[in-house]
Amino acid sequence: MATEQHSPSDGAVKHRHRQEGPQRHIVVFVLSVVLTLIAFAAVAAGGVNATFAVILLLVMAVFQVILQMGFWMHLKDKGHLLPIIFMLGGFFIAGTCIVMALYWVWWD
Amino acid sequence: MTTAHAEAAGTLPHEPEKATLEGRNKVLAFWLFLGGESVLFGTLFATFLALRNQTNEGPSANELFHLPLVAAATFLLLVSSLTSVFAIQAMHRNKPALLRNWLLITVFLGLGFLGLEIYEFSEYIRHEKFGMTTSAFSSAFYTLVGFHGAHVAFGILWISVLIGQLARKGLTVITAPKVYVSAMYWHFIDVVWVFIFTVVYLLGKVG
Repeated sequence: MATEQHSPSDGAVKHRHRQEGPQRHIVVFVLSVVLTLIAFAAVAAGGVNATFAVILLLVMAVFQVILQMGFWMHLKDKGHLLPIIFMLGGFFIAGTCIVMALYWVWWD
Repeated sequence: MTTAHAEAAGTLPHEPEKATLEGRNKVLAFWLFLGGESVLFGTLFATFLALRNQTNEGPSANELFHLPLVAAATFLLLVSSLTSVFAIQAMHRNKPALLRNWLLITVFLGLGFLGLEIYEFSEYIRHEKFGMTTSAFSSAFYTLVGFHGAHVAFGILWISVLIGQLARKGLTVITAPKVYVSAMYWHFIDVVWVFIFTVVYLLGKVG
């Protein structure tokens, strides 16, 4: 995993290559702002079909979270298999709790 | 430059948070912690979603929430997440002064977010008669959003202490993993807020 990146054989060239600029993070920021604005605008404008609004809002949120976890928390980078497993495991159990609460508590 | 060379030359390796086994272990363990935090917030979201329409004749979500305030808080937290990215980039370029400045800006934006949340809660309690025990909806709301706010408060405290530690001990392979992990925590707080403004506030307005 992370040790690969720091084995003595991969020298200066690779490390300097990995130095990334702020550009792509600003792109992620702008995309996050756009996704947030779409969500707020859809609600503020009103008159949007409720079912459609719920789906739109959730899709915007999931996109934004994937962007931020991928780029800002570096999950897209090499050597992040275990962190991805940890997070997906957490999200899976969290999702199970939510499904339980929505469909079990109000079952009739 | 390899880690060994960097240490011999007295400079910082390119990714100082991953230069030592302890640093790498800290980052990996923190991911496990964030997986656990996801479960914790998941249970709070589940409770909120199950109870969000049980208003007990108190205010409903639609009557209560003001979108401009929520949008302002969202923007503050989103920008603070970006500034903590810049802090880590400054760290990777071995610029301690720049790192400190970006961390300070992150802390101030976090304080702004917290201030808005405190103002919001106090308005609800004083003017809307919307307290912790008003309804199942209010209890679930304050527990979920308040727990997130407590995370923000803890993050502010944590990063502030790190700024002090950086000033005393400098940027080393010991302090770098601490900064990196605190930035991961801060991003996670913003990720949770994305779900809160969507599920609590915007879905509350939709009904």
